Amino acid sequence: MIHINETVSPAVRRSAYIAPSDASQIGIVVKYDFLKYLRSKRLVGMLAIVSLVLLLITALPPLLGNSYADDANEFIGTYASFTSILIIIGATLFAGDAIVSEFQNRTGYLLFPKPVKRWVLLAGKFLASMGAMFLVLLLYYGVALLLDLAITGSFSVLGVESLLLAMLYAVAALSVGFLISSIMKGITGAQILTFALFLFIFTILTGVLTMGGVEPWFVVTYSGGTIGYITQDPYPTSGTATGGAPEGMAPGGLTSSYFPDVGVAIAVMAAYALISLVLAYYIFSRREMSA
Amino acid sequence: MNEPIRTENLTKNFNGFRAVDGLNIEVKRNSFMGFLGPNGAGKTTTIKILTGLLSPSSGSAYINGIDVAEKPKVALTNLGTIVETPEFYPYLTPNETLAYLGELHGMTGEDIKRRTKDVLDLVKMSEWADKRIGKFSKGMKQRVSVAQAILHEPTVVILDEPTSGLDPRGIFEVREVLSGLKKEGYTILMSSHMLNEVQEVCDEVALINRGQLLKRGPVEELTRSANVRRLDVKTFREATAAQLKQVSQLNGVTDFESFGSRDFALSLAGSDEAQAGLLEELRGIGLRVVSFKDSGVSLEGLYMSLIKDSR
Repeated sequence: MIHINETVSPAVRRSAYIAPSDASQIGIVVKYDFLKYLRSKRLVGMLAIVSLVLLLITALPPLLGNSYADDANEFIGTYASFTSILIIIGATLFAGDAIVSEFQNRTGYLLFPKPVKRWVLLAGKFLASMGAMFLVLLLYYGVALLLDLAITGSFSVLGVESLLLAMLYAVAALSVGFLISSIMKGITGAQILTFALFLFIFTILTGVLTMGGVEPWFVVTYSGGTIGYITQDPYPTSGTATGGAPEGMAPGGLTSSYFPDVGVAIAVMAAYALISLVLAYYIFSRREMSA
Repeated sequence: MNEPIRTENLTKNFNGFRAVDGLNIEVKRNSFMGFLGPNGAGKTTTIKILTGLLSPSSGSAYINGIDVAEKPKVALTNLGTIVETPEFYPYLTPNETLAYLGELHGMTGEDIKRRTKDVLDLVKMSEWADKRIGKFSKGMKQRVSVAQAILHEPTVVILDEPTSGLDPRGIFEVREVLSGLKKEGYTILMSSHMLNEVQEVCDEVALINRGQLLKRGPVEELTRSANVRRLDVKTFREATAAQLKQVSQLNGVTDFESFGSRDFALSLAGSDEAQAGLLEELRGIGLRVVSFKDSGVSLEGLYMSLIKDSR
């Protein structure tokens, strides 16, 4: 026979608990979503990828008989040129399933009937993903800047600027990831679309526009190119390029004389972050657990 | 508006299909209402609207007098729920899951610790408290579901088929828990397909079909109004096929079922007088009755007749 320990008179039964403020609940959601990244080994996996990239960039040149760059900015520029791909992987892992998993995995049946607003859940999940992404970027740039200091003997301020641009680009990528996650019905589809959008679709769009003589200033991956370009001193300006492909563009002989203006790029990345997140909230708040 | 659970002209459409159609239900304070209906009747849709998972197309749903669609955070504060068969975060343990949900409800660390122990003991999951839920069976998850629903000692509990997926022992144990909740004075709305379960633990029943309320009232009153009795009959000698056919065609007899040639069961509409009359008619057919057992008035008869009438 099962007994309930606590005896409460039916007439006076009252729950003594009052749901905490929205801000406090955001903190709670951040804590447990961050725990998800730790327990699911996504964060560990991401850190392993970062370690591998750092190892390859640092160890390969001497192994191939090449010397490191003497200039601190040029040295950090090599690392900065790989940041975009790390951000794309991070956005896929941390944002791609953030919303859709609550519906597909049916955990929404547990979470959504709780006294917590949808925007609080979205904000908490977003901040957790931002925290994980920033941790990855800080580790990557931290190690790269320390290596820069140790090998070239000087500290690259442009490297720090690159980090700040990378953080903004990461926020934009995560926001787009959250938007996709709020729209899609399946986790795999959401993750593939997030990854493909940044790695192929935006890049193809940038290439086609560039070939057509239109500067793709409104494409977020084009703006993300500032992460690498900012380490060049002086900053390249449109018309000064003599060859190669712009940031993120597949090799194939395409040349462009377009380089994103830093101010415009910051505005574009901020706009992507804001608009995507607002749209993600709009869709998430209206999405029903109907299946 | 004193009822802790109430819907007013609640309607929900899905792409032209009306799942809930102007539904009005109220659950009185400290009562346990069973919510019955066939698949697709609108039970789960109603429960989803009451728990903030769906928005109504029109009408309103109230918990403790607060409109769930307008003020979900306030309305859901004093509510414990199990909707469908919820899944848990596989990377969390029951202790961590209950801590997460408890914190969202505003429970202190000390209260979470105390209540977690109580509710996990109650659903017999204490020894699994620190194991990750990802490895749990459906039945174990359902027990944790019950635990999380009452963790924060809500005044109102809404359960959507809480024994779904459980083995007979699990069903028995959850029913024991539900009976305990009833004694504790929770206000409970529970949907179920299991009529005997509802009859056993509920004070009141609401029967719905096609999104509309067919009948509601105290269980005893409804079963009385059902006016259909289930009778088990055993004869001394084997009955012939012709005799059995005659029995099935007697006035007031429905749902005739024979088990071999000496045992049969039937439903009989009518009172004690009808039963006495049936006994005489069986003798008239030439059947010598050894036992004539009234297995009681069941909700099943009412349920089936109302569902049939509403089609």
